[in-house]
Amino acid sequence: MADSSTEYILRTHNLVKRYKNVAALDHVSINIRRSTIHGLLGENGAGKSTLVSLISGLTAPTEGTITFAGEQVQGFDVKQMEALGVFLVTQEPMIVESMSVADNLMLGRWPVKRGRGLMKTVDQRALLANAVAALEGTGLDPRMPARTLSAVAKRKLNILRALHSGGKLLILDEPTAALTLADRDHLFGFMRSLKAQGVSFVFISHYNEEILGICDAVSVLRNGRLAGEMDDISSITSDNLSELVIGRDVPLFYRDRATRHAHATSEGWRVEGLVAPNIAVGNFTIAPGEIVGFAGLPGSGAKEFGLSLFGLNRAKQGHITHGAQRYGFAQHPEDAFARGIAYLSDDRHRDGLVGLQSIAQNITLSSLGKVSRAGVIDAFAEKQVVKRYFDHLRVKAVAPSVLLGTLSGGNQQKVCLGRVLATDPKLLILDEPTRGIDVGVKEEVHRIIDALTREGLSVIVITSDLDEMVRMVDRVCIFVGGQIEQEFTGADIDKDAILQAAFGTALAN
Amino acid sequence: MQPRSEFPAHPSPSNAATMSPQPAAPVAATPRSKTGVQWLFQNVVWLWLAALIVIFGVLNPFFFTLSNLQNVLVQATVLGLLALAVSLPLMVAEIDLSIASNMGFSAAIGAIVTTRLGLSPAIGVPVGIAAATAIGFFNGLCVTRLRMVSLIQTLAVMIVLQGSLLAVTQGNTISDMPNLYIWIGQTTLGNWPVMPVVFLIALLGMGFLLRKTVLGRSLYATGGNALAANSAGIRVNRVKIIAFTLSGLLSGVAGYLLAAWQMAITSDQGEGFLLYAIAAPIIGGVSVFGGRGGAAGILGGVLLLTVIHVGLAITEVPSFYVQMIGGILIFIAVAVDAIRVNFVSQ
Repeated sequence: MADSSTEYILRTHNLVKRYKNVAALDHVSINIRRSTIHGLLGENGAGKSTLVSLISGLTAPTEGTITFAGEQVQGFDVKQMEALGVFLVTQEPMIVESMSVADNLMLGRWPVKRGRGLMKTVDQRALLANAVAALEGTGLDPRMPARTLSAVAKRKLNILRALHSGGKLLILDEPTAALTLADRDHLFGFMRSLKAQGVSFVFISHYNEEILGICDAVSVLRNGRLAGEMDDISSITSDNLSELVIGRDVPLFYRDRATRHAHATSEGWRVEGLVAPNIAVGNFTIAPGEIVGFAGLPGSGAKEFGLSLFGLNRAKQGHITHGAQRYGFAQHPEDAFARGIAYLSDDRHRDGLVGLQSIAQNITLSSLGKVSRAGVIDAFAEKQVVKRYFDHLRVKAVAPSVLLGTLSGGNQQKVCLGRVLATDPKLLILDEPTRGIDVGVKEEVHRIIDALTREGLSVIVITSDLDEMVRMVDRVCIFVGGQIEQEFTGADIDKDAILQAAFGTALAN
Repeated sequence: MQPRSEFPAHPSPSNAATMSPQPAAPVAATPRSKTGVQWLFQNVVWLWLAALIVIFGVLNPFFFTLSNLQNVLVQATVLGLLALAVSLPLMVAEIDLSIASNMGFSAAIGAIVTTRLGLSPAIGVPVGIAAATAIGFFNGLCVTRLRMVSLIQTLAVMIVLQGSLLAVTQGNTISDMPNLYIWIGQTTLGNWPVMPVVFLIALLGMGFLLRKTVLGRSLYATGGNALAANSAGIRVNRVKIIAFTLSGLLSGVAGYLLAAWQMAITSDQGEGFLLYAIAAPIIGGVSVFGGRGGAAGILGGVLLLTVIHVGLAITEVPSFYVQMIGGILIFIAVAVDAIRVNFVSQ
């Protein structure tokens, strides 16, 4: 008893969670050592969320027990788990933007000066003093309005809040989502320093390299079962992890750059003299069937260039030539679609999908003109289009009439891809196309895009996933300060070289 | 806040055998799953409506007569058109509070053109409806181009229009409309009033618009996620302006029908309709957050409120209690709908 209470902060014993007759979690036992970062890996639907909700007290298990610091946990309740010191820090930072950092740090637990009930007055001085002490050395200013914080600072604040409330084991659910590489390293450094102070973490991520980079141990879930647990991951490779996650040797996709051939039927694109907010590109060309990767820090112009082509970042000057046709820059996505330019957003929840509408309605949303006559939708034509992309992209859903909001992230992303492909684009801009989707779907998406380029589609991929970049593109453009600074082609495309060129200055800090 | 018009209580010549109290849904509901409980919740408006019809019918068998059905349909017409007018901005996650005052004001414009300028109703009525449409268009411009908050912007326009109605009528009631003007509100064909046909056409038009057209899809997408709709190539501002403009058009038609039916335009014409016109589509499943709802549901909400209104009037509930009980019945409908939404979203 004494042994385990010192060695392990939390253990689960044969946890089972059944919803009706389906076991979401099937006899899962994991052991989280004190002062470690414990990775939790698995595809969407593998049982990660279920396990997390059991550990954090959101739901009760059907069978099995949990021990915290050697003591068996009685009853399952968020308040009780928090009292023990187990906190769930979710993907979305729970921050009241209009309040200060100090107010957020002690949200709902503000020190009271006098009064009772709702008439209590907050002791501003004590609040600030506490906050100053708690935030010392973290780089956060307690007086700042929370809305001015960067994405990584908000995540740090979330973590600090959990610690300040007595957190000993923090469950971080995809804390690196939407962070840049530099911010991610910053967050990792912060986690390591907390670990050194005795804090334990459960770290959930889709990225093998993140797990390998920060975690001490890892548990992999597959189909609700524990597929593997490793106490020491120093000798594990990324491929080992992928194999555990998917349960077979994942044939990783590598684009065959050699067999690209010229397309007589398709035309390339040329951009000249583009001037738009945060971007100025004198000359850029992309051949038919070519995949060009854009890399750069936020604000470097990589994303802005893509948005300018699509009309979401309005260009002031410049034009595009496609074959014999010459256009000004699109001022609205509608113009862009009409010219054969399509863009897939990096944040599907923000501006990629309409969750209240069906899969089918989302697929044809950008190509309604093609399936209608005089403003009236041709149900038959629409059905054909929907069927083509629903089948082709292998969307996992009962039927295309299912509401899109109910699907998993990977399937939602497929539908978003289907929507832009249904416009029959000649130039496709993909912004972080595989962010937040699991390995299996990721490889599938890579293959689909590769196949499309064989038919003459030109593709621009904006990504911070360098692994993806290296395996997928024919050419890399490095953006610095709103301009294309450097290009790599063919065999020169190398992870370290891109990292150095695109993010080098930031990593030096 | 009851609609001020009393329904004309026709003595009933028909016998009990000719009753047909069940309104049929002319437009299919939104896609639904087939499990029993969900089906029940999806159609809760209709179940509640059927229950009330039975209750009122038991309390007063007159409720089951044909002439009462005709009366319900007449009463439902103005409210129904207004409910459709409210629904369009709601679909795109906006709101238009000016529709009821727009209804009164635009009707007065049309009537004044007819009575004071002596022009034919064939000119006066379109002028009034055009004025209402222009006001809707103006609201749309304010909300999109000037980025005004529709709740407050249309509230201000509502007050302006109420004041304008008072100003143009000088506090008097306009009642000397020619026969041609009031024809639509007074004519019956084989005992059946003509007026509800207008609502029926508008309802079918709305159903067609929402289900079959590119504009309908664009309305849903804009209300469901405006940023995504914009990125998908939909001109979101244009869609919103169209929603407000159509809303104004429907208010104008409702205003003309109300005037033709009452044969009068008072200096506070239309007041009292607004809250019911907002309640009806929401009871019928239109979301105040946009992107959700359909014509069938709106019809259900309109009929429900009308049945409550008419039913309370003929069941000899003392008049001091009518509004309170009506409010409670509406409250129950909204509460059940909230339960339904929670249930479905789980």
